[in-house]
Amino acid sequence: MRQTENPSRDRILARIRAGLHTPPSESAGTSSGRVIFEPIKNPLQRFQQECAANLTECVLTTDTTASALQLAKILESIPEGEVFVQDDPSLRWLFDVVPSSRAIRWSSQGAPSEASPATVTLAEALIAQTGSVFVTASCGGRGASVVAPCHIVFATIAQLVPDLQTALSSAFKEEKLAHNSFACVISGSSRTADIEKILVQGAHGPRRLVVILQTGT
Amino acid sequence: MSATAAQRFLQDAAVKSADLVHRQIILHGLESYDAAHLRGRARFQDWEAARQKCQEIKREAINHLDRYLLQFEEKVISRGGHVFWAANAEEARNYVVDIASRCGVRTVVKSKSMVTEEIHLAPALEKAGITVWETDLGEFIVQLRNEPPYHIVTPAMHLNRGQIADLFREKIGAEIDGDDPSKLVTAARLWLRRAFFAAEMGISGANFLVADSGVIAISTNEGNGRLCTSVPRIHVVVTGIEKVIPRLEDLAVLWPVLATSGTGQPITTYSTLIGGPRRPGEPDGPEEFHVVLVDNGRSQLLADAEQREVLHCIRCGACLNICPVYRHIGGHTYGTTYQGPIGSVLTPHLSGIREFQHLSYASSLCGACTSVCPVKINLHHHLLHNRRNATTEGGTKFTERIGFRVWRYAMLHPRIYALAGWLARRGLGAVYGVGLAGSILDPMRVWNRRRSPLPLPSESFRARWRKGLAAN
Repeated sequence: MRQTENPSRDRILARIRAGLHTPPSESAGTSSGRVIFEPIKNPLQRFQQECAANLTECVLTTDTTASALQLAKILESIPEGEVFVQDDPSLRWLFDVVPSSRAIRWSSQGAPSEASPATVTLAEALIAQTGSVFVTASCGGRGASVVAPCHIVFATIAQLVPDLQTALSSAFKEEKLAHNSFACVISGSSRTADIEKILVQGAHGPRRLVVILQTGT
Repeated sequence: MSATAAQRFLQDAAVKSADLVHRQIILHGLESYDAAHLRGRARFQDWEAARQKCQEIKREAINHLDRYLLQFEEKVISRGGHVFWAANAEEARNYVVDIASRCGVRTVVKSKSMVTEEIHLAPALEKAGITVWETDLGEFIVQLRNEPPYHIVTPAMHLNRGQIADLFREKIGAEIDGDDPSKLVTAARLWLRRAFFAAEMGISGANFLVADSGVIAISTNEGNGRLCTSVPRIHVVVTGIEKVIPRLEDLAVLWPVLATSGTGQPITTYSTLIGGPRRPGEPDGPEEFHVVLVDNGRSQLLADAEQREVLHCIRCGACLNICPVYRHIGGHTYGTTYQGPIGSVLTPHLSGIREFQHLSYASSLCGACTSVCPVKINLHHHLLHNRRNATTEGGTKFTERIGFRVWRYAMLHPRIYALAGWLARRGLGAVYGVGLAGSILDPMRVWNRRRSPLPLPSESFRARWRKGLAAN
């Protein structure tokens, strides 16, 4: 790949530096010491509330067998077609517990097909504050969470963090973005209100987002 | 040139403010927004602290812009991405068109980006024989109507479902029974789905450029931005240099504040971070990743310490939504890429103060825009700054200058002022008395032509003041 030629780079930087010679006007006030968001006392309860508000289906399970059964039940409600699944031992195990005749495309075989009716992935974290699922490219790639009409996420209670601050701090410390070209905080199904401010689910991405949250081991 | 843009603005404003159907559609949309915005703000323990924090983040970024842009650039390049610095719109357009030509791109899918509107990117690509599809639903609708976006967040806010249903039937041959919004969304989804998977290039904007992580942050709801940046072979980000922020953690407050101010949501559905092309082992994603950093007048604004904070804007659209002028005249009347109060402040800097100085007067100076701005930009004061700057640069009319000299003289000579007041009361009384209020002979025509004439006082303020003093 050829090197990017940048004839204006130095000129723009020089203009920026010259502009910044004039100090900014005084700033009034400070946010220091002020609490912006209400502290989250019960992350699980908050996560469930937020999921209900942003139209994410949150299913609690007690153990892996129950999770596998829930997964099978959800897949039964989905139209025929090859399901795309993140290639991870924990997800392979869930599919082994409750075998299905449905065709599966593992992420190690490539990107999800355009016609996939559903995708199944893990998450890096769940965020209680916003009822969100935090995924990276490691969770089956970029298309895994957006191409199909239904996205199913399997996560455990240990992955639940209270707020965005915690999720982003951890991602930075663990260099998640250095090891992945993509990350996304997903807060509900795809939607639009561009027509008369009326909410319609399933604009270009999934109409359903389902989180199977395993609370036990 | 100045008179033309200003005259067009006044003509369009007169038409739009008298269009009751248009006003009803806008009012409905904005009332929904108002309710959602208030609910969203209530979710914060301290909304004012959130605004303060966002202001501090953007202030730090803008006042160390060179440092943070270089940090961002270094990280992107280290992961195999390309960063191009465009001094103006032409350089940015040429760079993107060159990539498209070099890679044999025939179809481009775009997610919403106001900077691409600012630099007129889509027409340049189309001129090169490339098909461009806007994929945000609102943008798609206005593209089919061959119109610019009406609003920076909700581009098709001025249309109702019936108009959109007719448009889809006519332009994309959609067989839609009725005008149910869910059916309209499905029609657009089916049409654009083909485009996503056919396109060789996806173009997006960026809400933020995160310096410490070298990633772009995009906030969307529909998922079109996700598909534009995941499916095509090439991803090009076109964004302004002012979008940089120092740290990834800053998004913990910026994302909720942007979503609350933009739509009233706690956070947008997809808050996406992208730092480069697909990495080895990743199953999908673009092979090429380009970031085009557009200056186009921004560094000039940076040099103006008084107005530098205008670059803090995060394009949430809250100032448009609350502005009484915007609510009456709508987005297209401004004739600019950025509308409403922020557009009126910014456009003279980006596109010339002579041509767009009239926008500084498209405000009641009520300060509502300033009160809602999530990064606390003192918008109505900047409109006054622009008025002053335009006057200083000699952008005022000869008649206006003479008028103000006469006014100044009168203010410095009380007897002359009193005489002028007496003449004005008598003269206007005569005009009103013969039924010529609002006519071409009425000196107060601008005000009176659509309103009842202003009642004339029988005596001057000074006379009343003297009486008041005597009574006390």
